[in-house]
Amino acid sequence: MIRHLFKLIWNRKKSNFLLMTEIFFCFLVLFGVVSLIVYNVRNYTKPLGFEYDNVWLLTMRPSADSAALNHQNLEQAVQQVRAYPEVEYAALTNSNAPFAFSQMTDNLSYDNKRSTQADHYQVDDDYADVLQVQPSQGRWFGPEDNAAHHQPIVINREMQRQLFGEEEPLGKLIPQNDSVNYQVVGVVDHFRGYSEYSAERPAFFTRINLQQSDKSFWGELLIRVKPGTGIAFEEKMVREVSGIGKDWTLEVATLEKMRQNKSKLTMVPMIALGLVCGFLILNVALGLFGVLWYNISRRNGEIGLRRALGASANQVYRQFIGEVLVLATFGLLLGVAFAVQFPLLQVFEVESVVYFLALGISVVVIYILVVGCALYPSRQAAAIHPAIALHEE
Amino acid sequence: MITLKNIEKVYQTKTIETVALHNVNLHIPKGEFVSVMGPSGCGKSTLLNIMGLLDEPTNGIVEIDGNPISRYRDKELAHIRNQKIGFVFQSYHLINDLSVIDNVELPLLYRSGTSAAETRRLALTALEKVGLSARTKHYPTQLSGGQRQRVAIARALIGQPEIILADEPTGNLDSVMGEEIMNILLTLNREDGTTIVMVTHDENMAHKTERLIRFFDGQQVSDAKTTAYDYQKV
Ligand SMILES: Nc1ncnc2c1ncn2[C@@H]1O[C@H](COP(=O)(O)OP(=O)(O)OP(=O)(O)O)[C@@H](O)[C@H]1O
Ligand SMILES: [Mg+2]
Repeated sequence: MIRHLFKLIWNRKKSNFLLMTEIFFCFLVLFGVVSLIVYNVRNYTKPLGFEYDNVWLLTMRPSADSAALNHQNLEQAVQQVRAYPEVEYAALTNSNAPFAFSQMTDNLSYDNKRSTQADHYQVDDDYADVLQVQPSQGRWFGPEDNAAHHQPIVINREMQRQLFGEEEPLGKLIPQNDSVNYQVVGVVDHFRGYSEYSAERPAFFTRINLQQSDKSFWGELLIRVKPGTGIAFEEKMVREVSGIGKDWTLEVATLEKMRQNKSKLTMVPMIALGLVCGFLILNVALGLFGVLWYNISRRNGEIGLRRALGASANQVYRQFIGEVLVLATFGLLLGVAFAVQFPLLQVFEVESVVYFLALGISVVVIYILVVGCALYPSRQAAAIHPAIALHEE
Repeated sequence: MITLKNIEKVYQTKTIETVALHNVNLHIPKGEFVSVMGPSGCGKSTLLNIMGLLDEPTNGIVEIDGNPISRYRDKELAHIRNQKIGFVFQSYHLINDLSVIDNVELPLLYRSGTSAAETRRLALTALEKVGLSARTKHYPTQLSGGQRQRVAIARALIGQPEIILADEPTGNLDSVMGEEIMNILLTLNREDGTTIVMVTHDENMAHKTERLIRFFDGQQVSDAKTTAYDYQKV
């Protein structure tokens, strides 16, 4: 029977061509949108590598040019913030704080063999406590690094994988420039600071030592406050810090708020695309429904004949459902052949599993869609009275 | 083989009620070749549809092989049609998108347990019987009317049915081609013992069968053995 259906659809390929192309394009669009959704959802479900609840970001922007004064004020401000009973920990970082719209990347290479582009986070010793980042191997920065010969770094697993493969990462030296080396002192399993929806990329942390680098300035202070700390404390802190840095512009945001803003950046286009795709699918579904309906009313004679030759009403019903499945299969074969090029050619830097998942989901959705559209017309076809159908021809 | 008892068929539409058959009683024994004649609209096709289980009578009983049919479900009716009955129509009813041999194979698609190879072999045998072995890969639109009707007959006989119901099988054909079709049916009846009920408008054709039933306005008006019957029996 299946062979028969394939033959029938194949011989009618001219009249079915439009339907097949429609299914083909519908599949491609769906595949694109589903790939995007799968990509985002997969990233979202992976660990961030840090905790952002009760963490605030204080941004400090001095307007005066005096580096020495700014540095001095900064030391004092940090001390002041750390002294509040509401504050558990506070840590300096460069502008790429979690969920900020700022990135800093460096090219690193190891042994002149492997190289990678990695996110570079400059952070101080308290950063691990503020964001509750826990190295799974080695350690975080501490006072013992003050006398270190090389500049200590903590890297994430992704960076380890890309630079060292299976080799032991701790103690490895990575040239920073001609005279200075980074030395790996710790490894964290995950760190995705940019967005919940971004993939894990190589990342490393370097140590800020405020006391040893006079004249330098870092403008963001991450603060872990005690749960329940509110706006009153925020106002008090801003007032008192601006008493220290009189020319500074200060801003406070919670990481939660920043996370929401960042996720909007992903969600809004995704929802828009999803809506467009939804309308397209609805359109295709209506078209499909219409064509099937029309085809079936045109095939009265054939239906009557098949009934006369021994097809039960149920078999006619199944035949018509089977036909759209075959039809969809033709369209999908073409579509899959096309879509499979994405993982094969690695068009974007996306794991193949994302594409294959999207492929599977899209195929299933298309099958469900066509069967959904065929149910009612097929029922009508099965309900046609054979004597009347034969009579009408 | 087929028995009709007090068959009544009324078509009910919104405005009118048409009595297509009224009080029809018939017995068609196994192996008989019967023709049915009558003016247009007298209920001949209706009669054949009821015999072929494509339509239900409003009243009365249909028996096939002595089994009354009234309470069968759709699936069982389809099964009986598939196993026991072959249909031939005036307008052939071939599927134009299928080749000749695929058309002939259709009934066996609805019969479980026949392999593809076996089906093919039976289809070729059936086409041989109607003299169309050379046209198996053609499509219906590439054939003449007579050839198409021969394909339809091959399709009717592939399942080796005990009964063939033919509704004006020569109605669209000229007399030469009609003659060919008639000869095939006669051979089927004589050699394989297939019971045939044929509706026709052609007296000559009718007189080649053994029994002729005439209808008028939904009722049998005559039922008699023909001279061909006498001739055969001599
Ligand atoms: N589905 C139907 N609905 C209503 N009336 C019908 C239907 N089918 C047939 N009839 C009526 O029943 C009567 C018998 O029709 P039938 O088709 O059996 O005639 P027929 O003897 O085969 O005629 P012809 O020689 O023209 O084929 C006609 O009056 C016809 O109009
Ligand atoms: Mg008729």
